[in-house]
Amino acid sequence: MKNQANPWLTGNLFVLALGMLPAILLIGALLYFTAWAFAFSFTDLALVGKKSVEWSWVGFENFERLFTRRGFLESLWTTVIFVFFSAIVGQSVLGFLLAATLRGTQSSIRGVVEVCIMLGWLLPDIVAAFLWSATTSQTGLINQLFVVPFGFKPINFINDYALPIVTIANVWKGTAWSYLLFSAALDSVSREVVEAAKVDGATPFQRVWLVQLPIIRPHIATNMLFITIWTFTYFPLIFAMTGGGPGRQTETLAVFLYNQSFSRGNLGFGSAISVAMLLIVGVLSLFYLRMLREPK
Amino acid sequence: MENQPSRLTAIALAFMAVIWVSPFSWLVLNAFNPLSTGQLEIPKAFGFDNFGLAVSGNAGRQFLNSIIIAAGTATLSVIVGISAAYPLSRLRIPGRNAFLWTLVLLRMLPSAGVLVPLYFAAQRSGLLNQLGVIVALTILNLPFTLLLLKNFFDTVPIELEEAAYVEGASLIQIVTKIVLPMSRAGIAVVWFFSFTGAWNEFLLPLIFARVQDAFPMSVGLYAAFGQQGAINYGFLTAFSILYAAPAIGVYFLLRRNMNTGFAGVGVKG
Repeated sequence: MKNQANPWLTGNLFVLALGMLPAILLIGALLYFTAWAFAFSFTDLALVGKKSVEWSWVGFENFERLFTRRGFLESLWTTVIFVFFSAIVGQSVLGFLLAATLRGTQSSIRGVVEVCIMLGWLLPDIVAAFLWSATTSQTGLINQLFVVPFGFKPINFINDYALPIVTIANVWKGTAWSYLLFSAALDSVSREVVEAAKVDGATPFQRVWLVQLPIIRPHIATNMLFITIWTFTYFPLIFAMTGGGPGRQTETLAVFLYNQSFSRGNLGFGSAISVAMLLIVGVLSLFYLRMLREPK
Repeated sequence: MENQPSRLTAIALAFMAVIWVSPFSWLVLNAFNPLSTGQLEIPKAFGFDNFGLAVSGNAGRQFLNSIIIAAGTATLSVIVGISAAYPLSRLRIPGRNAFLWTLVLLRMLPSAGVLVPLYFAAQRSGLLNQLGVIVALTILNLPFTLLLLKNFFDTVPIELEEAAYVEGASLIQIVTKIVLPMSRAGIAVVWFFSFTGAWNEFLLPLIFARVQDAFPMSVGLYAAFGQQGAINYGFLTAFSILYAAPAIGVYFLLRRNMNTGFAGVGVKG
């Protein structure tokens, strides 16, 4: 560890402590708010009306409602499907394939493809939602290019295939992150190792699967950790595109939480949902962090 | 090291790039068409009228609001983050690891979960305004900022600082002349992330800013395209392009730094 005997540090402990103070206060505030959210989950607090002032403790009632009433379990399932297909299958696999393919190509091609993918990632969520609503509308790009010219009636994608469409939109939007991370990771694999495998007669597939993938395993775990959690709690794109509908087809947990807390005003129940989300996210991250540590 | 790309790979990549940018066609075609109807069609007229609408009046004000929120959040997060991350990286403070793990856990906290307490606290202290949004976003952003900055400072060799001390440099000089320049790439990445995060932020301003004058562009755009009836697509598409431009621009300005910064992200979460 860095030693304690660095005079410019030990002589200025007061200044350093003063520097840390704002951060500690803000982190403290965040912890305080989190504790508050936990506390709310045991109450029947409401956004408006009588119960916004005279709320009372209701014990585990909100948590019972999670499992006994319709809504939470369906949302959980929707979220699992959404995360699996858009984050793990879509963004990670596609991002890795792109990173692996583009490494070998000329820098001009690489630059163009990179910029194209980055545009999706950099676009603000609400604009992306607007764009995809327009692209999949009855007069939109997909219908005009692939449906109407073949003599079919225009399809209202956002109504008929809501979950696949938001999944695709999220893949479109998020792949760049995985691509950049994997690209940086592959750069860190030394050329000699790959060359040695090549000399030993490894096919391109084997070089990727048996040499590069094991080396960048910590990066894969990090990437999975980040994108799973982001996607799990991702709100604006789905909310702006569908609002959770039609029906409840795209009501992921984040949308469910918003609808319950702010549309219906059940802040107590909403807090119970957020506590449940927090627990799920916690378990997931422990799982990934284990994966990160294992090779050592 | 890889073989030269085959023609097939090149075609596949080109195909992908085209698919990726194709949704933008509608946006661009409508934005530059003064007679836009929201259809996907080749415009019969061409002009910048829509952009004129998109920078005047309410829309211009929303642009300014977004800039204030995003730049304010990014700068505040980076300043608070740096002044705490340097001691965290260099000193063996008791309970440091516990603190770092708390940050990791807080980072994963769904921000929607603390929205209600945040709202109540802001209401009570009269901060339901731009400043409140900046402070709230900084609070939510800080765990991530701190962890990243600490990782970047860890990579600055302490021997350089020792040498500077021997030469008679003060703490402030050591930090501003050695540590900060050497982790410039990392700081740029952190600033960029905070900026785009705040620029994109939708839910928090929606709840904090109740009057139209205080809306940032995200809320303004959502409110406009959520309206039923007469939607002015020309205006909205031009507005979208203006809204998207700064986030994209900042990235391309910092692009070289980004790649070096990303290598650091992967090392330790």
